[in-house]
Parts: sequence; C-alpha cells; structure tokens
Amino acid sequence: MLVDFELIERARSGDGSAFNQVVQAYRKRILGTIARLISRSEDVEDVGQEVFLRLYDSLDQLRTAEVFEPWLYRLTVNAAYDYLRRQRRRQESRMSDLTEQQVMLADAAAGGKKSVEEQRRTKVRELVESLLSKVSEEDRILLTMKEVEGLSLKELEKIYGVNENALKVRLFRARQRVLKAFEAEGGDLTQLDPE
Amino acid sequence: MNRMDSSDKFDAGLNRKLDQVFAEYRAAFPDPDASAAFMPGLWQRIESRRSANMNVFRRLAQVCVGATLALTVIMGAFLIPHFEKLPVYSASYVDVLEADHPNTYVDILAGDIK
Repeated sequence: MLVDFELIERARSGDGSAFNQVVQAYRKRILGTIARLISRSEDVEDVGQEVFLRLYDSLDQLRTAEVFEPWLYRLTVNAAYDYLRRQRRRQESRMSDLTEQQVMLADAAAGGKKSVEEQRRTKVRELVESLLSKVSEEDRILLTMKEVEGLSLKELEKIYGVNENALKVRLFRARQRVLKAFEAEGGDLTQLDPE
Repeated sequence: MNRMDSSDKFDAGLNRKLDQVFAEYRAAFPDPDASAAFMPGLWQRIESRRSANMNVFRRLAQVCVGATLALTVIMGAFLIPHFEKLPVYSASYVDVLEADHPNTYVDILAGDIK
C-alpha cells in the first residue's frame, strides 16, 4: 500500500485534501499501467483522470480500506476497457475513410525523424499492439496485467473477482492466440531492430 | 519423438521470445509523470460531474413542484364547484334541520308538543 488506511478512510468521508493525497500517491503507477494497457501516450492522462473520477464517485461503496488497491486496479481496467472499445469503433470508421496509400504515407511520415532507440520502441509497441489485437479487449487487458504489469494470479483474482482456475484457463487461451500470431509474424526479435 | 522434441523446443523458444517482447514493451513505457494540469483537470471534471448531478436534481425538483401546482389547480377547478352544489354548503343550519325533522320543527313552533 502506498498510503495508510486512515488516509483512505478520510478520503471516503469526503475530505478533499485526503483524496488529493491518495491521487498523488497512486497517479504515477496508474498512469503507467494505463499507458501500457492502451499504448497511446496522448490519451493516458485523460483515461487516468477518468479512473480517479470514478474512484471519487465510488469511494463510499468501498467496504474496507484493505481492498483499496484491487478496487483501484479494477477501476483502471474498466476505464481502459471502455477506452479501447471506443477507440476500436473510432479507428474502424477512421480507417474506412482513408485509402491504403494514405495510411502508408502517414506511417512513413510519422517514423521519419526518430532516433534508433525510439524506432525500436515504436516497433516493439507496434508488434505488441498487433499481437494483442488478435484477442478481445478483455483478454488483451488481462494478458497485459499478467505479462506486462507482472501481477500475480492472486492479485488478479482480487481485481476480477473470479477464481484462479478460471483466470488461468483464460490467460492460457489468450496467450496461445498471441503466440500463434507471433509465430505468424515470424516469431523473430530481429524484426525489432531499426533499419 | 525427435519431431516432438524439436516442436517443444520451438514452442519454448517462442514463449521465451514473447516474454522478451513483453519485457521490452514494459520498458518502453515507464510510469510517466503526470502533467501540471492533471490535478486541476481532475477537480474540474469532479466539479462539472457534481454540478451536472445537481442540475438533474434541480430539474427533478422543478418538475415535481410544477406537477403539484398543476394538480392543485385542476383539483380546485373540478372539486370546488362540485362541493358548492351540495345542500350542506348552500343551505343554512335551520334549513338543514328542517329538512331532517320537518314535523318536530313545525310542532315546536306551533306549541303543540305535549
């Protein structure tokens, strides 16, 4: 826990400055998780604010301060899920407006002035984005929480409120699908090396 | 047997590489610092949500008050004329008494009661 229970209790009872302290303690971690869940840095703060807004609205529903962290992660997962769904719908309509040539030109222009390190980061991001697009938004988030965020099954169990075995099965299936996609893309890390 | 071994090795290799991709992805997105506009923006959203909720309640209260007033006017318009027509409201006490006990009343006045 990054804050003590007493601070959470104070925030629960409507103390604005206590709520501020809670946000300040957790915002870096939550923004990082959101960045990796949605892989779009320009929208991270917006989704982060949405998470803390939902926290503010639902603090009185929190049973005990002990379950605060799983609760916050659940809000994060839900906000990221809502964002990804909106984004997929928006992207579908946007992409249908552009010709393939326009998309290629836009990609080339975006990748033009990057350092070697940045280029590799962009490639990793694109690869992961492409691999995770092969599974549903729910599985994408679950897989990211496990494989990228490094949360344990016990922690995921608390966040999702689902038993460990069900999570294991779901994670296994999602990972298998991603592995298949990775294999189809060559399964090779040299593709991440900048040209 | 050899084919299965090589397939297992391939899968293990692929799994390891995928783990590596995820690890690189994790490193490519370190936890970012929030901008200076984060907290003011958050409180602005909280305030606007709160005022939106207040507006909904205010609207609801206005609708309730309006409906109550309309109901009062309608009840007044229909029920007051209806009550005015009842004899108990249009006659005097003596008239009502006379209607209830016509004979006794006359007898008392005439002094014929023994």
